Amino acid sequence: MPAEKKVVQASNLCKIYEIGDVKVEAFRDVSFSVENGEFTAIGGPSGCGKTTLLNIVGGIDRPTSGKITVFGEDLNVKDEDFLASFRCHKIGFVFQSYNLVSTLTVAENVAFPMEWARKSEDHIEKRLEELLTTVGLQHRAEHLPSQLSGGEQQRVAFARALANDPPLLLVDEPTGNLDIKTSQKIVQILEKLKSEGKTIIIATHDEQILRLADQKLRFEDGKLVNQIE
Amino acid sequence: MSETSFPVNDLLRRKLQTSLAIISLTLCVASTLFLLLFCQKIGIGITAVVENKLTAGFSTIFTPFLIFIGVLVFVVGAVIASFMVFVMMSQRVRDIGLMKATGCPNELIFGYFMTELLIITLASCFLGVVLGVLADFATTNLLNALGLQASQAPVNFWLIVLVFVIFFVFGLVFGAKPILDTTKVEPAKAISPIYYFGLVKESGFKAVSKSNLTFRIAMRSLFRRKSATVRIVICLSTVFILVTVAVAGGVIANQTTRNWLEKAIGRDVVLIVHQDMRTQYVLLLSKFYEAKEEPPFNYTDEKYLMPEEILNSLNSTPEISIIDTRLMLKAHILEVQNYTINPSTGETMTVGDDREGDAIVVGVKPERTLSEWFLDGHFLGNKQAQEAVIGDSIAQKLFSSPLNQGIKLFNETSAVLDIVGVCIDPINNGNVTYVPLETLQSIVSISKPNIVMIKIDPSANRTEVLSQIRANVSSVNSDFVVFELNEVLDKNLGFLGFIWSTIMFLPLFSLASASLCLIGYVMLAIAEQRQEFGVLRALGAKPRTVVEIVAGQSFIVLLASYAVGIALGVIITLMILIPEPLVTNYTIMEIAGWLLAALLATFIFSLYPAIKFAKKPIREIMYP
Repeated sequence: MPAEKKVVQASNLCKIYEIGDVKVEAFRDVSFSVENGEFTAIGGPSGCGKTTLLNIVGGIDRPTSGKITVFGEDLNVKDEDFLASFRCHKIGFVFQSYNLVSTLTVAENVAFPMEWARKSEDHIEKRLEELLTTVGLQHRAEHLPSQLSGGEQQRVAFARALANDPPLLLVDEPTGNLDIKTSQKIVQILEKLKSEGKTIIIATHDEQILRLADQKLRFEDGKLVNQIE
Repeated sequence: MSETSFPVNDLLRRKLQTSLAIISLTLCVASTLFLLLFCQKIGIGITAVVENKLTAGFSTIFTPFLIFIGVLVFVVGAVIASFMVFVMMSQRVRDIGLMKATGCPNELIFGYFMTELLIITLASCFLGVVLGVLADFATTNLLNALGLQASQAPVNFWLIVLVFVIFFVFGLVFGAKPILDTTKVEPAKAISPIYYFGLVKESGFKAVSKSNLTFRIAMRSLFRRKSATVRIVICLSTVFILVTVAVAGGVIANQTTRNWLEKAIGRDVVLIVHQDMRTQYVLLLSKFYEAKEEPPFNYTDEKYLMPEEILNSLNSTPEISIIDTRLMLKAHILEVQNYTINPSTGETMTVGDDREGDAIVVGVKPERTLSEWFLDGHFLGNKQAQEAVIGDSIAQKLFSSPLNQGIKLFNETSAVLDIVGVCIDPINNGNVTYVPLETLQSIVSISKPNIVMIKIDPSANRTEVLSQIRANVSSVNSDFVVFELNEVLDKNLGFLGFIWSTIMFLPLFSLASASLCLIGYVMLAIAEQRQEFGVLRALGAKPRTVVEIVAGQSFIVLLASYAVGIALGVIITLMILIPEPLVTNYTIMEIAGWLLAALLATFIFSLYPAIKFAKKPIREIMYP
């Protein structure tokens, strides 16, 4: 398999948190790779380290040991400014608790990653319309996050993650806080993204989402086990 | 959780917040106490002025300034105390929510946080008192080391108790309200990540959507955090009023009073007198800056009268542009009553009393005097007029409405001179009366002057001319000396400058407290937006962007407070505190420079928590 096909390559990742004198191991010897266009699902019990692993892949956390390469970049050795720009252009994040900026409207929440990527106003407006249509929230463009339901906030979070059309999407328990009906809408969005060939890594327990996965990984006793190759 | 150990442990665990609150309250207490003790020490207290140093005219500027600054320092103290406690409690609302959710009763929560408040207020008041006394002690020693007399009397114990009690009560009263409010917050709300104490749910205001993203987020967060924003703006505005009154007022008043002094004594004036009279004249002028015993001196002694030959020699020196001959005596003066019509009743009323006292009386040629006094009224009309201009101190001590009254010199039977002006003059602390030379000469039957003041043409070689004059004077009578007055003038100006610069130094304490308050506000902003900053960083914002957003909020708050504070400060200074202010371009530049420096220093200081926060890893920000 040619190296350039690998979007993510992790080898022997280990993460230990130090809380005072106590050391807590999140996971150890985690190795996996994700290919371009692959849909990878990560499962495991709560607190097993799924979110931490996604954070490390996204460059918002660093492993205690091991190597992580994303799009050929060794994230361990990069400085904060590089990582900021890297995340802005290459990675889309969807957090479990939506994490919208409460002072910005829906449209502004979706638009701000594009503003950081210095896209033109015309481009931003066009892309904004496209994304809000995709997630079905055109009519909510001028609303503030506090005026939206949980499902709507999660859809805004998807639109925001896709704003700069990143080649890699990291999604953390997108249906964890939603009811079945609302979850269905999120699954539809993920299906659409998969059909478009987007590389997705998703932490989830949701059976509907797991069914979409090309690769299923699961944390067991602090180690990552590949369920289906 | 022990009831007594929780508050102590809690304060110790939150070192930065605790020390911030204690330092800012300590500075408030210290600055107030220092101001009160310092005023007593340098003798520019309200009543001490006229008796010891300066003149009544100068004291009428100093006194309102000090009173005003004193009141403002108290107000600033109260506002800062209230704000710091508000910030403290705003950051604790989640803990309170958790305590309530786990079944802790309201009374117990209130007790915990009141105990914390009590500890902080007590510690701040104690440290503030110690710092205030030490600052006063250090300034007193500095004053004495500089050769200026400052009282070494023990500090006023009751003043210390007063400041301690007032600030202790301020702290508790203003602090109890937010604690009570916070304990009333529903636990579900308190533990919700989107709830923040003092936060308006959503503001109707939206910054222009075309504006820069960081500016937009900064502005909207400010409006959303309305309660805290309004409090910090009030707090900083009060401090900026204080700073403006002290700095702008200090600079303008310094220049205005320096101008009065310089014109009254005269710049580059040369005194030609008998050497004993020179000593006496310098003594009278130096009373302005140091209280001195005045030994008996016979002004009418013939040996002090100016020899005709010296006058002739001076008159024949072409390089001398002005010769101002004066006769200076000590006289007993008497207030003369006058009558006036009461405009509302039409009845005749008496103005004044029959007060009497001693003053220096100087006979001058009105048309040839070197001095220009700051006058209420006008100067003497002609050389034989039965008029007098009196100094500001005797005007205040011996007359009710001086410009409507008369004055008698030496005794009851002498002629009444109409008072046509009140002047500000440093000589003999303003206990002076100017009359036409010929009028005085005819009263005392002395035909010669005993003081001659000259001014040398600026185009002439001053050193050469002075040498020539010295030689001529010495050849006539070696007891007569030629003395340049600039040295004594500079000492007077130096004293004035020192007082003003000390007054200008006072708000530095308040400015430091205000900076700490702003840091508190910035920390509050960061705590409230912590999660959002984490998200922004995770989605591609650089650490600098977070600093820019926080800096934007801090700068907007500062600018708003600055505008309000400076506008009110300037109005108060110019309209209330200084009569006929002297404002030059240089004055404006100097004031602008100082105020800009205060703004920038406060702003830079306030960025510390933002810079520290921006350096944190994103994981720590998002999942604390």
